[in-house]
Amino acid sequence: MGKKFLRFEFLLLIAVFTIATCGLVYELVAGTLASYLLGDSVKQFSLIIGVYLFSMGIGSYFSKFITKKLLDTFVEIEILVGLVGGLSSVVLFLLFESVDYFQFILYLLVFTTGCLVGLEIPLLMNILKDRVAFRDLVSNVFTFDYIGALLASILFPLVLVPQLGVMRTSLFFGMINIGIAIGLCFLLKKELNRPFVLKTKAIASFLFLLLVFIFSEAILSFSEGKLYGENIVYTSSTPYQRIVLTHNKSDYRLYLNNNLQFSSADEYRYHEALVHPVMAAAKKVDHVLVLGGGDGLAVREILKYKEVKSITLVDLDEGMTKLFQTNTILTGFNQNSLTDSKVKVINQDAYIWAKNCPQKFDVAIIDFPDPSNYSLGKLYSLNFYKSLETILTPEAFVVVQTTSPYFAPKSFWCINKTIHEIFPKVDAYHAYVPSFGEWGYTIATLNPQATFATVNRKVEGLRFYNYQFDKFNFFSKDMVSNNVEINRLDNQILVRYFDEEWGKL
Amino acid sequence: MKSGENYKSRRTFLKGIAASLLLIPLVQSCKEKVLKMAIRLSGTNHILGHRLWTKNFPKPTREIRIPYLIVGGGITGLSAARQLHKKGISDFLLVEMEDHLGGNSSNGENRYSKYPLGAHYLPLPNFQDKELLQFLEETKIITGYDAKGFPVFDEEQLTFSPQERLYYKNSWQEGLVPRLGMTNAEEEQFERFFDKMAFFRNAKGSDGAYLFDIPLALSSTDTETRALDTITMQEWMERNGFTTDVLRYYVDYCCRDDYGLGVAYVSAWAGIHYFCGRKHDATADKKENVLTWAEGNARLASHLKKYTDQKIVKKHLVYQVETRNDTVAVTAFDNEKQESVTIIADRVLLATPQFINQYLLTGRKEFSKAFHYAPWLLATITVAELTDNQSYPLCWDNVIHDAQGLGYIYDQHQSLQQLHPKKVITYYHSFSSGNLPQTRRAVYKKDKEYWKQQVIADLQKAHPDIERYIETIDIHLLGHGMISPVPGFLFGKEKELARQPIANRIYFGHSDLAGISIFEEAFHQGINAVNKMINDATLDS
Repeated sequence: MGKKFLRFEFLLLIAVFTIATCGLVYELVAGTLASYLLGDSVKQFSLIIGVYLFSMGIGSYFSKFITKKLLDTFVEIEILVGLVGGLSSVVLFLLFESVDYFQFILYLLVFTTGCLVGLEIPLLMNILKDRVAFRDLVSNVFTFDYIGALLASILFPLVLVPQLGVMRTSLFFGMINIGIAIGLCFLLKKELNRPFVLKTKAIASFLFLLLVFIFSEAILSFSEGKLYGENIVYTSSTPYQRIVLTHNKSDYRLYLNNNLQFSSADEYRYHEALVHPVMAAAKKVDHVLVLGGGDGLAVREILKYKEVKSITLVDLDEGMTKLFQTNTILTGFNQNSLTDSKVKVINQDAYIWAKNCPQKFDVAIIDFPDPSNYSLGKLYSLNFYKSLETILTPEAFVVVQTTSPYFAPKSFWCINKTIHEIFPKVDAYHAYVPSFGEWGYTIATLNPQATFATVNRKVEGLRFYNYQFDKFNFFSKDMVSNNVEINRLDNQILVRYFDEEWGKL
Repeated sequence: MKSGENYKSRRTFLKGIAASLLLIPLVQSCKEKVLKMAIRLSGTNHILGHRLWTKNFPKPTREIRIPYLIVGGGITGLSAARQLHKKGISDFLLVEMEDHLGGNSSNGENRYSKYPLGAHYLPLPNFQDKELLQFLEETKIITGYDAKGFPVFDEEQLTFSPQERLYYKNSWQEGLVPRLGMTNAEEEQFERFFDKMAFFRNAKGSDGAYLFDIPLALSSTDTETRALDTITMQEWMERNGFTTDVLRYYVDYCCRDDYGLGVAYVSAWAGIHYFCGRKHDATADKKENVLTWAEGNARLASHLKKYTDQKIVKKHLVYQVETRNDTVAVTAFDNEKQESVTIIADRVLLATPQFINQYLLTGRKEFSKAFHYAPWLLATITVAELTDNQSYPLCWDNVIHDAQGLGYIYDQHQSLQQLHPKKVITYYHSFSSGNLPQTRRAVYKKDKEYWKQQVIADLQKAHPDIERYIETIDIHLLGHGMISPVPGFLFGKEKELARQPIANRIYFGHSDLAGISIFEEAFHQGINAVNKMINDATLDS
C-alpha cells in the first residue's frame, strides 16, 4: 500500500512539474509572438507576464469551489491546458490579420491558460492533503513547480525555438500536457470516476494536436498569405528578393520583400508619370536606358514611341526579369515589353555597369527601390549621378523616381538637390498613385537651355498623363523642404533622412 | 543614477535578448552545408630576415655600380624613389627583401575582395602638409580645389558612410565613442577628455609651432609639452582624473590601434598626439573622414611604385653596408639564386627599420635597443553570412568594446556593388606588453589553429554564430609590426643618434626614426632623406 501510494503522489508531482513547464512555455510563446507581431518587446513581455500571473491568482481563487471529483477535474484541466495552450500560437498566427481583435484574443488566451494552470496547484494540494503531511506536500508541490519553470525558461530560447520554431513549440508542449493526462488516466484508473470518458477525451485531443503539428508548415504559409490580406497567386525567391504576387478582385499586387512594388489597378499612373514627361521633353529618344524597373512596365510605356530605336534595361535580379518575360499574368501587365526586339535586358549591378558602359544614351529612366538602406543609398549619391553623366549624350534627359514628397520631403529634395549638382537644369513633379500615395520624380537635363514643358512628341491613348507638365510641378508647402544636404557616398545623408521620415509613420 | 538611464540600458539589454531570440529560427532556417574552414598562415619573411643574426651568406660573386641606392621598399623607400624622380634623377636602384613592394602597405586578394596586410587608411591630411596634398593631387585622390582653396577629395576614395560602429553593452552603436548605456560620470569624462584634446590640437608653443603636429618633427620643442614623453598615457590619464573604465578602454583602443601599445606602456606624448596631431582643417566643413581602399594603403604604395619601374631588385636581403673609399659597398643575398651580390653606390638610403640596421652596420646595437616594435596579427576572414543583433548596420570599421583585438574592417565597404555573395573582413590585433621581444617569441610559437580559435572567440562577442559561416581565414603575422613609442623614446638621444648620416654617404629614413608608424611620417622620411642626399651631393661637386 505504501509503495503504491508513493507512486500516486509521485505521478501527481510529475504532473505539477509538467504543468509548470508547459505553463511557462505558453507564456513565453505568447510573449514572443506578441513582440514579433506587434513590436515593442518590453511592453509585450511585461504585460503578458503580468496578465498571466494575475490570471493564475484568479484560477487559484476559484479552485475552492471545486469540491467533488477532484482527480477527474484535475485530469480534465490538464487536457484543457494542453489544448488551449498548445493551440494558442496557431490561433494567434492565424488571427494576426485582424489586429483590432488580436490583442484581445492574445490576452484572452494568456488569461485562460493562466486560470487553468492557477487552478491546478490548489486542486492537487486538495487531492493530496489527506494522504501526505502538509509540510511535505507544500514543499514538494512548490519545489516541482519552480523547477519546472526554470526548465522551461532555459529550454525555450536555447533548444525549443531554434529546433521547433514558436508554433511547433507550443503544440509540442500541448501534446506533453495531454500525454501526462493520458498517463494519469491509465495509471490511476481506479482512482478516477469516469476513466473511460477521460481517456477518450485525452486521446482525441492528443491526436488533434498531433495533426496540427504535422500540418504546421502549411498553416504557417497560409498565415503568411493572411499577412498580405489578399490571395497569393505566385511566390518566388531569387537570390536578391522574395517576390509575391497577390490577387484580390480585379487587382493584382506585386510585393518585393514585403514592400508593394505595384498594384495593377493604378500602376499606369505611376509609370505614365515616370516615362512620358521625359520622353516628351527630350530632344532625341533614339537610345533609352532604364535602370531598375525589372517589371518591364516602364519599358511598356517607352515602347509606345515608335521612333525609339533601342531600350537597354539594367536590373540586378535575373529572376525578376525572367519572371516578367515568362509568367503569363505578368507579361499581360507589361504587354511582353521585355521580349520586344528593341529591348536588351542586362542583369548586372547598375552602378558597376554604368561605370564601365561604353555606350551613350539620349534618355535615362531610373526606377530604383527607395533608399531604405546604405546599399541602396549609394544609387542616389553624387558619385552615382557623376557616373551616369558619362554615359549620356550632351543633351540627354533623365528622370529619377524620388520617393514621396509628402511622406519624405527631406529625402525627396535631397535627391533633387544632389542631381542638380551634376545636371545644370533640374525640376521636380509629382502624381497621385492611390496605392502609394503622393509620389514624386526628379527630371533633369544636361542641356541648360532646354525646358521640361516642351512637348517634342506625344502618343495617344494615355489614361493619366496629358502632356501638360506645368500641371504637375507645383508643390504645396507640406511637400517642400529647403534645408537639405547633398547625398554623398561618404555621408549617406539620404538614408538618414529616409529612415527618419518613414520611421515616423 | 538617474532612473531614465537605468531604463535605457535595461531596454537596450532586453532589446538585445529579444532580438537574438528572434534571430535563432532565422539562423536555423538558413543553415547551409557546413564547409570545411581553410586556414592559412603567412607573414613577413622572418625566416630569411633572421639569417642576419648568423650572416652565413655566400661570398659575393657579382658587382653592380649605381649612383643612388635605396634599401627597403616600404613607403619611405618608395617615397624616396618618387622624390629622386622629381629631382630628375633616374639612375638609382631599390633593393627589397620580400617578393613585393609596399612593406606595411601591402595587400592580399581572394576570390571576393582585395584586403590589406597592414596599414589600411590615410586620414585627411593637414592643410599645411603641401607635399602630401601634392601627392594626392598627382594620384587623383584630390580631384581639384574648391572656391575657398580647400581640396576636393574623390568621393569613391573617402570612406563611405556608415563609417564606424561600436559593440557596447550587447548593442552596436554608431561611432567609436559609446553614447548609449553611459552614466553621467562617464559622459562627463569623455566630454572633458575631448575638450582637453581640442585644446592640445590647436595649441601652439612659444616657438610658434603646434604642440602636436605631423610630421612629428614639426611639433613645438617646448620642454613642458615634451615632458609628457617621460610618463605613460595611463599615468597622464590618472593625474588628470580620467579614471572611468570605459574612457580608459577607448583611449587604450586608440593607442593600440596606432602604436601597438596600450595606455599602460605608451608614452603620454604619443597618446595625446593620436588625438591632436591631425587638425581636420583640409575641408571647409572640418570633416574627420579618412581615405581608404579595399587593399588598404597598398593603393598608395602602388601609386608610388610607378617611380621604381625597371629599378627594383626584389628578394634580395641586404646584410652588410660599409663605406669603401668614396663609395658605399652594400652586400645583398639573392634569395632566389642563392648567391650574394655587391652593389657599389655613391650614396645609399637605408629605408629599413633600426632593428635591421643594427645588423647591417657596426656600432649601432647600443642605440637600436631603444627601438621597440609591437607584433601584430591580421586575420582576413571570408564568411557566407555575418549575422548579429542588427542594432546598427555593418560599417567600415567595427569595434567590439572590451575585446582582445581591435575589431575588424569590412573589406568590401568601398565597393559600389549592391550585394556580395560572401563577405570579407579583416581582423586586427596588436600585442601590447611591457616586454615586446618576449611577446614576439610567444606569438611565433603558436600555430594557426591556436590563432584561429583566438580570433573566432574575440569576434563571437558580437557575432555568436560566426564560426559556422567562416569559409577561409588568412592569418598574417607581423613580428615587428610597427614602432611603438614607449616613454622617453620620441625625444631621446638614441633616436637622434640613429638618424645621423654616416660620412655623408649613408642616410637613414624610416617611420621608426620619426617615432610613430603612420603613412605621413614614412612619406616625409623618404622625401627629406632624398633632399638631404642630393643637397650633400651638390655640395660635394
